[in-house]
Amino acid sequence: MFDPKTRLLVVDDMLTMRKLVSKVCKELGFTDITEAEDGAKAWEVIQAANPPIGLIISDWNMPNCSGLDFLKRVRGAGKYGKTPFIMVTAEAEQHQVVEALKAGVSNYVVKPFTADQLKDKIEAVHKKLST
Amino acid sequence: MAQLDVRFFKPFIEGTINTLKIQCGIEAKPDKPFIKGQKEQPEFAIAGVIGITSNAFNGTITLCYPEKVFLGVMSKMLGEEYKEITKDLQDGVAELLNIIFGQAKITLSNQGFTIQKAIPTVVRGHQLTTSVLSSGPVMVLPFQTEMGEFHVEICSESAM
Repeated sequence: MFDPKTRLLVVDDMLTMRKLVSKVCKELGFTDITEAEDGAKAWEVIQAANPPIGLIISDWNMPNCSGLDFLKRVRGAGKYGKTPFIMVTAEAEQHQVVEALKAGVSNYVVKPFTADQLKDKIEAVHKKLST
Repeated sequence: MAQLDVRFFKPFIEGTINTLKIQCGIEAKPDKPFIKGQKEQPEFAIAGVIGITSNAFNGTITLCYPEKVFLGVMSKMLGEEYKEITKDLQDGVAELLNIIFGQAKITLSNQGFTIQKAIPTVVRGHQLTTSVLSSGPVMVLPFQTEMGEFHVEICSESAM
């Protein structure tokens, strides 16, 4: 599992969903969690973060800067190119999954999800990083 | 009055059941759907509304909760007990509606419908009811839970 000190960034325009994701991650042991309400704000957090953000969990559909645009921005910047990025979305059409994979997403969670499903996805990302 | 295609509202029933079960751990049992106006209109305290467009149907989907039921649903979803609908809590109804829409969209896409939604709006108040200006039918989908009843309304502006 991720080191509990890993800096986690949770991005969602819906406060209740940020609360839910943060709660599950706290149960997993994460202690350093920052929340942002859209991709633009999240980008500001990433640039200012020191030590750097070690895991991003982001919604897809958000105003100002969508999760996909945010992912592309993160992957386009060499410095954050390998930061684990999990996309959470209520819409899971095939073309969207393909688009996210092409943009470099590390894993994909479809709403509705249980706490165990989110935990499994986070663990899978960590496992992939460790191999 | 135009008929609302059953293929269109059934995925929203299934989406509501799945969303409540998986995201909140709540069993929502569907009651018999009815056309608005045929029965007494249920009142609610909070609702999420989204406009939708498709190749077969334009209209709105509204998710309506009485206060007690909404607080119960949010308490289950977030694992904390809530006594009142605060500003921090109210976007939960929009999020649940987004998820229900996403679930229904998968089924509808598989049936050949293309469907898009607008950004949801949240409405709050006391003893609210909806009033629809559309000439099309409004289908009311009631659900029973351990906390009480809530409902989904599907309003069509141009039904099949």
